[in-house]
Amino acid sequence: MICFEGVTLRYPGQRTPAIRSLSLTAEAGAVTAIVGPNGSGKSTLVRALLGRVTPEQGTVVIDGASLAELSRRDVARRMAVVTQREEPVFPMLVRDFIALGRFAHGSLWAGPTAGDVAVAESSAARAGVTPFMDRRTDTLSGGEWQRVRIARALAQQGKALVLDEPTTFLDIAHEMSVFELLDELAHDGIAVLLVSHQLNLVARFADRIALLHAGGAVAIGSPSDVMRGDVLERVYEWPLVVSRDPAVGAPMLVPLRRRSPR
Amino acid sequence: MRARAWLLLFAALVVAALAAIAFGSVSLSLAAVVDALMGRGAPDAEMIVRVLRLPRVALGIAVGAGLGMSGAALQANLRNALAEPYLLGVSGGAAVGAVLATSLSVTGPGLVPLAAFAGAVVAVMAVLAVAQAARGPGDARVLVMAGVVVGAFANAAIMIVMSNVPDQTVRSALWWMMGSLGDASWAGVRWTAGYVALGGTLLMVYGREIEILALGDEPALALGVDTVSATRRIFLISSLLAAVTVAAAGLVGFVGLVVPAIARSLGARTVRGTILASAITGATLVVAADLAARVARAPAELPLGAVTALVGVPFFLLRLRRMS
Amino acid sequence: MNFRHAATAFLTISLSLMACTRDVPRGASTTVRVDDFGDTIPATLRAQRIVSLSPVTTELLFALGAGARVVGRTHWDSYPAEARAVPDVGNGMQPNIEAVLGARPDVVVLYASASNRAAARRLRQAGITTISLHQDRTEDFRRAAMFLGLAIGDSARGAVLGDRVLGEIRAVRTSSTSPNGGAGKRPTIFWHVWDAPVFTIGKASYLDELVVAAGADNIFGDRPESAPQVSLEEIVKRDPDYVLSGPTSAPKLLVNPAWRAVRAVREGRVLVVDTALVGRPGIRMGEAARRIRALLDSAAAASPRTTNAVKR
Repeated sequence: MICFEGVTLRYPGQRTPAIRSLSLTAEAGAVTAIVGPNGSGKSTLVRALLGRVTPEQGTVVIDGASLAELSRRDVARRMAVVTQREEPVFPMLVRDFIALGRFAHGSLWAGPTAGDVAVAESSAARAGVTPFMDRRTDTLSGGEWQRVRIARALAQQGKALVLDEPTTFLDIAHEMSVFELLDELAHDGIAVLLVSHQLNLVARFADRIALLHAGGAVAIGSPSDVMRGDVLERVYEWPLVVSRDPAVGAPMLVPLRRRSPR
Repeated sequence: MRARAWLLLFAALVVAALAAIAFGSVSLSLAAVVDALMGRGAPDAEMIVRVLRLPRVALGIAVGAGLGMSGAALQANLRNALAEPYLLGVSGGAAVGAVLATSLSVTGPGLVPLAAFAGAVVAVMAVLAVAQAARGPGDARVLVMAGVVVGAFANAAIMIVMSNVPDQTVRSALWWMMGSLGDASWAGVRWTAGYVALGGTLLMVYGREIEILALGDEPALALGVDTVSATRRIFLISSLLAAVTVAAAGLVGFVGLVVPAIARSLGARTVRGTILASAITGATLVVAADLAARVARAPAELPLGAVTALVGVPFFLLRLRRMS
Repeated sequence: MNFRHAATAFLTISLSLMACTRDVPRGASTTVRVDDFGDTIPATLRAQRIVSLSPVTTELLFALGAGARVVGRTHWDSYPAEARAVPDVGNGMQPNIEAVLGARPDVVVLYASASNRAAARRLRQAGITTISLHQDRTEDFRRAAMFLGLAIGDSARGAVLGDRVLGEIRAVRTSSTSPNGGAGKRPTIFWHVWDAPVFTIGKASYLDELVVAAGADNIFGDRPESAPQVSLEEIVKRDPDYVLSGPTSAPKLLVNPAWRAVRAVREGRVLVVDTALVGRPGIRMGEAARRIRALLDSAAAASPRTTNAVKR
């Protein structure tokens, strides 16, 4: 669904590329996670999908078409991206906000059609934000805001959904509900591509994990393949231990202390 | 926005326009004004009402609407509640054009407005070129900085020209820069209203795009908007819309800045709603300000830009209080 | 002291007193030696090097025969032709002190506007005698003529010149019937000084006096200032018979749509005055009044005026 084929990404004026010759595929019906230390190039991949950085080498393919040949509208119909943060300057109603997700499907000048309204409402229901449809965006809590943004992304009705650190400011309940939603969406056939720091949750919910380090993929595979203590310790440069958690049996990472307790 | 708020806006515009026709530096009885409008009044009253006041009110509506819409679109596009059309080079460029035309003291009545418009266009192109050179033609912050740079350059040019021309020219140029509806003619009203209607329509057509641009660069890209070309397009339309109003009435400051905020405080939420409400509010503000300019120190006339600035200052203090 | 000494003293004193009184112009008080900034002018002044910082005083000095003593003039002084040979020291308002001092004057003549007070003070501090004079009304001209006459040591000539010019103006006023071919009613005029914003002349301006002398009335003659700002509406209301304007402004008026509200503009009754001639209250004021009178006469002859009541 989303394929990076030998992609090299370099920011203008930088000597070293942010991503070197990366090949990665996010398949439909699966949750693919990209993890790695800060500066490993994770967000650069998302920017490439948004068209902010053009590949120096290689191609990005979305739903069988090369990204370079698609207009932004075409891309938006196939793939929705929930960026790391979004802070609107002027507040609007949640229902109008979600309806904006239909932009790529409608004509430039017309307002939302009845079909658009229906899609917006079902997307809101899917993301669990129906209770606050008539509230203003500047009155939402962090968790509510995130789910509203996911609802808008769902309204785009793309076959792929990309999320860049979607649970950073969320509490346990909200975080779990987001991951469960992503699991359901994958189950419905959507290709979910997720960038996250939450290694333990990723290990539980992702079908494939790509571990990045300094612009390259160190390991790509199932959670059990990638979540290995020696590899992770080398990449994150911190002592850690990977065991299995007793409750659900997923790989669990435990970082150790460098300094002895007080 | 609720229907009641729209009604209020319209009513305010109608009241302001009627007052501006009924009152002026010469006091005419209401009956005399009505007679003059109907075409059966005394000759001097007819001249005052139909040749002097009516075109001014009509021009005021066009200029106010243009500035209001331009400000609303730019504030959304640039994601900045302090953005206004004059910030981005329009006023500086127009002033350079007008000062140069004044110093040549050629007779044609349309020369200064034409030169002002040309100057504004050159400045807007310069802003886009500077933003392009800074590799950010679609980046709101880069556009603002480019606008400030071009504006500063234009100010320097104005100062150089003014220090080398006779006092009369300086006085003429200064009066033009302070804004006035005094040159209103029906021909000018037609041109201005036509361009304002065109520009406003375009902004309304692109209204959803502007709405999405207002969310931010990356969210807009994610939703399917080509931000670089869209920002450039909206910036161009808004700036040229403002340039038309500057050509017609000189520099009428604060309208593009204050009016969208008033529209939002009345309940306008979508960009299209804000643009429309800003058109009506801007028209009301300029017509009312022109009335005050004509009447406050009659028979002398205050500069229109001074009156709109005086309105802007307390408004700003109110906003500051609410923000903190 | 004996009688002979006392007599000599008495004679000397009384003779000097008589000489002094002859120096004091007829009809003026002893304050004639205090200028319009309140600075005193020594009676013994015999200016040899004069910088004149206004066109009126420059042409006055030449008319008084003291042109050779003028060592500096403003950029705008161009009358008489000989004045152009005098070095240009820049502006008359807020003058360039360095340039003025560079001409090494002993007397500097300034226009007594508030913005020149600082310059007068600086020049006085540099040891130069300054003479600061108002130039708004015809009476100011006579006063200026007397001051400058005093400054060059020929106050009699100054008085004669001042009286002559004012006399010329008076002569225009008393000469026969009003310019309307004897119809009795004086025509009203609007004097268009400036366009944006609209400025005209009021009671305190010499131009108002010249217009009245020429047999017409200024529609804003009730305004006390010399250059009041007015609105177009007010002009339409007061409905002048003629509009007087300069050669560059008159064509602009005729094509300006807003000015068509003024009846005189609509009917083409815009008279062009030579701004070089009427532009300052100087020695050619008599000629200026005559010229205005001639303009009004020929305009009245070309198209007889109809009153508002008749035209409908």
